[in-house]
Amino acid sequence: MIAIRTFFIACIALAPLCAQELKLPANLDRLATKASEVVDVTLDSNLLQLASRFLSDKNPDDAQVKKVISGLKGIYVRSFEFEKTGEYAESDLEPLRTQLHAPAWSRIVGVRSTKSSENSEVFVKTEGGKIGGLAILVTEPKQLTIVSIEGAIDPDQLSELGGHFGIPKIESDPKHKDNGRGKDQ
Amino acid sequence: MEDFERQLRNALARKQEPPTFEAKVYAAVAAQRSGRGIFWRWATEGAAVVVIASGFWMGYQHENQQRAAGEAAKARLEVALRITVTELSKIQKTVRTSTEDE
Repeated sequence: MIAIRTFFIACIALAPLCAQELKLPANLDRLATKASEVVDVTLDSNLLQLASRFLSDKNPDDAQVKKVISGLKGIYVRSFEFEKTGEYAESDLEPLRTQLHAPAWSRIVGVRSTKSSENSEVFVKTEGGKIGGLAILVTEPKQLTIVSIEGAIDPDQLSELGGHFGIPKIESDPKHKDNGRGKDQ
Repeated sequence: MEDFERQLRNALARKQEPPTFEAKVYAAVAAQRSGRGIFWRWATEGAAVVVIASGFWMGYQHENQQRAAGEAAKARLEVALRITVTELSKIQKTVRTSTEDE
């Protein structure tokens, strides 16, 4: 009986480690009350499937988006814009940062601008040598953006979405194409 | 008095029913039964129409709801991808600029 109980407790305790899914902390919702503008997008696998059904294969833009989201399990976006600085603290992001650790997650890009006090980080989750998730964390004095994408994602395909589906075009620079990825500054 | 008694006797006297009486009774019963049958037939058919129409209406409503939910999910997806790609673009640009500066 004790062994069974220990097994269940261990399962419950280790479940988050097994799942390795990025959970957006609940305290972020508290920031929404302070923010002047909030974008809160939650698309789980069911909603992604539903959205996918409304993307036409005949429309090239829709088809491209459909291809990108085909392997995804969820897209979660939280973006807050504040009237003044200091409305959020670095500690608000601590529950998120604690999840974005090795071995599952690795930071591939980290950009810190002292001029604009902007801090951008890109994390990827690797599963069996493949990208199984992507997280973007952008902090600015008056803005905070968190993006979490669960599932098989190809950053190249994501970049290709620029200029389609109402998404701004990403300037491509073949000279630095390889430098843009896998660089940690 | 005699006249009254005669009238009374005539009124109460047993009379032979007319030959068409039985036929009239049967016809009346049949008509009544037939009327009731028509009512039930109409009621059943009406109920069936209502059930079928309700089914169609519910299906139509469900499809409408699904379409609205799908369009909403598509719009949300568009917003999510726009933010994601924009942020990635900004990061890419910053990385490129700093690389060039180096």
